Amino acid sequence: MSHAAVLAADVVSSGEAGAFWVLGPIALAGAIGMVLSRNAIHSALWLVLTMLSLGGFYFVQQAPFLGAVQIIVYTGAIMILFLFVLMLVGRDYSDSIVETLRGQRVAAILLGIGFAGLVGGLIADATSGVESVGLAESNADGGNVAAIARLLFTDYLLAFELTSALLITAAVGAMILAHIEHESGSRPGQKEQSIARIKGPRPQTLTGPGVFARGNSVAAPALLPDGSVAEDSRATGMKMRQPPAIASGSIDDLDDVTVDSGANRDGVPT
Amino acid sequence: MSNLAAESPTLADFGTDVWWIIVIKVVGIFALLVALTLFAILFERKVVGRMQQRIGPNRVGPRGGLQSLADGLKLAFKEDIMPALADKPIYFLAPVIAAVPAFLAFSVIPIGPIVSIFGERTPLQLTDLPVGVLIVLACSAMGVYGIVLAGWASGSTYPLLGSLRSAAQMISYEIAMGLSIVAVFLYAGTMSTSGIVEAQESGSEVSAFGLNFDGPGWYAVVLPVSFIIYCIAVVGETNRAPFDLPEAESELVGGFHTEYSSLKFALFYLAEYINMVTVSALAATLFLGGWRAPWPISIWDGANSGWWPVLWFIGKVILGLFVFTWLRATLPRMRYDQFMRFGWKVLVPVALLWILVVATMRVLSREYDFNAGDIALYVGIPVLVLVMAVVWLWPDKAPDPTVKEGVPPTTRGAFPTPPLDLVVPPSPPLIKRDAVAAGKRGGGKRA
Amino acid sequence: MLNPYIPIVGLFALAAAFALFSVAAAPYIGPRRYNKAKVDAYECGIEPVDQPLGGARFPVKYYLTAMLFIIFDIEIIFLYPWAVANDSLGLFGLIEMVLFIGTVFIAYAYVWRRGGLEWD
Repeated sequence: MSHAAVLAADVVSSGEAGAFWVLGPIALAGAIGMVLSRNAIHSALWLVLTMLSLGGFYFVQQAPFLGAVQIIVYTGAIMILFLFVLMLVGRDYSDSIVETLRGQRVAAILLGIGFAGLVGGLIADATSGVESVGLAESNADGGNVAAIARLLFTDYLLAFELTSALLITAAVGAMILAHIEHESGSRPGQKEQSIARIKGPRPQTLTGPGVFARGNSVAAPALLPDGSVAEDSRATGMKMRQPPAIASGSIDDLDDVTVDSGANRDGVPT
Repeated sequence: MSNLAAESPTLADFGTDVWWIIVIKVVGIFALLVALTLFAILFERKVVGRMQQRIGPNRVGPRGGLQSLADGLKLAFKEDIMPALADKPIYFLAPVIAAVPAFLAFSVIPIGPIVSIFGERTPLQLTDLPVGVLIVLACSAMGVYGIVLAGWASGSTYPLLGSLRSAAQMISYEIAMGLSIVAVFLYAGTMSTSGIVEAQESGSEVSAFGLNFDGPGWYAVVLPVSFIIYCIAVVGETNRAPFDLPEAESELVGGFHTEYSSLKFALFYLAEYINMVTVSALAATLFLGGWRAPWPISIWDGANSGWWPVLWFIGKVILGLFVFTWLRATLPRMRYDQFMRFGWKVLVPVALLWILVVATMRVLSREYDFNAGDIALYVGIPVLVLVMAVVWLWPDKAPDPTVKEGVPPTTRGAFPTPPLDLVVPPSPPLIKRDAVAAGKRGGGKRA
Repeated sequence: MLNPYIPIVGLFALAAAFALFSVAAAPYIGPRRYNKAKVDAYECGIEPVDQPLGGARFPVKYYLTAMLFIIFDIEIIFLYPWAVANDSLGLFGLIEMVLFIGTVFIAYAYVWRRGGLEWD
């Protein structure tokens, strides 16, 4: 890889070479980080870094449309899908470090390095000394985007139209994998629930725990103005505290306060 | 006119600045965004206050003018809390991932024509590319990560639910937003923002009833459906009311940033407001003629030269911010199923259909030499009449027999209306009993 | 030729420096008073559970939305160059695009019909 870059340095501008030496290590670091991370989400984020660097490479190589597409589609859409899928498995999920096949790790590392060397060498050999031609011509006359459009919608028309078939396949696959069919009417949706609530006897929210009580803990039931417990404020699934003991002496005082303001108890929403 | 036309930058004018001009522009854009954010927060609170018969913040600085600055400083001196269950590196990085793309998206927004800064002639725009608008889309795609990761890394239920909703919402409305601007590219023939502003300089000549009009050039007028879809989609994209489900405070506390505090929270807040500014600026650029002066001002010859356009541009951005605020003060939050149904079943098909209609019109007018004005006259007006007739004649929904119509009961009162004959009881005598004191504290906000 | 990108890199550097500085400086500027309740997950007052809802797992429903998003994102990406070059592609380009949008619309209609766009 570096071999090719050094050889290519005489045909590319210094700015392009500089950008390569910045983006290249970042892309590589992302790839290595993705392999080495134990946590699946961290792996995905390292991969996002690599994808972003690749987008940067396209920009550097005078293909701004491809660069933007790389960022929008790969990092924006496909990696979000990756994240969603990884989040399906939960945050405590991480790679198993138990080696199931003896010596598999060493063999994998060796073969990986060998494969990378082979591919890198082949690419370096194939691209060394090749002069880049045609960039100015292809980006002339309307610019990069129009040039892509001309190619895509004439020469590569069939591939373009076949893409739509691929997209149908993707939709069908996603439906089969991820769609849970509900018999219609078997489960009330948000709309039905909302209508039922408004038409029901109690459209408003339940009384919050702690209202009028001496404590505002979720475990303290709300009190009505006369000091009794508001039953609908009891939270489910937890042990409610006893209502704060309004001493027998003071409850009379309380009654004194509220007894003549009957309208308060009846009308004013508490 | 030739003098004025020379002021509009083209793609060749970018990338030729000397280094100190670049530094000035970078710092200038950064400062503009921060200043607009501080302004937008105060402006929103003032406007919402007025709309609710209040004054709004008026304590800090002249007429409350320094309120948002004071809020920002206060946030910096708050404790920075790292939840015990948080995924530390991602919790740390999420605000950065949210904020940086928000800044970057503004880099391709044209603020003005070519001006002279200390003798150097340069366009008032950080940079422009043949794919300018895609930079904004790419940045908004990256902004989704900040929110998803913030919610996920917090290790808490409410942020997780908020980030889930947020991600699904942003990607859904990104589709509608992406589709809405296709028609603009169709008309402008370019994706560079300066080119799109240039293309809106003047409209095609429209002849109707034997008279010749110089048609409007703004794409908001030429492509009204695109403009409406764009406006709706960006409100969903920026998580603002009535689409602020990710941070629906009555259900999810604060949504994805519930567990964030101090400057980390401030960055999310900053990113949200910068995103509002950016989508308003993009709306101005794509649909409202960019930095060019609106009609009555544009009669004045000097309106589109020199530094004046900055004023028109900022005015258009503030108009966008005002609409955001207006929506927030007016509309109740939608239910999640309504919201997703609206995005996928209304906005997307309408946008696709509209693109096909616009493209067909353009191709027909080119191949068969139709006049766009003629088509608008002979097709548009009958269609409009038809639509209005259908709307007019559409049968009203039968009244629901289970809904009880009529005057609410006068005595007991039914939720949420108090009884009509309500007599406010006299204030009870001050008794310093705990129970009464506790009772007065009640009725507070329920989390 | 890379000159138009230099300002973007500059703005990126400035924004990243600002954001990283804010995030890194926050613990040092603000006070630090430890309290176990502060670092617990926020649950509106009840004792927080050890893990967020369902072990921080996303419902599978969202996978479908993300997949639909990719499908339409790719469609949009094809629409952009077509829109820009529309004037030179002419009627032929229009017919191509009607076919393409129509085919993708089949996928959309299928998902709609099967209830993939419903939320409850």
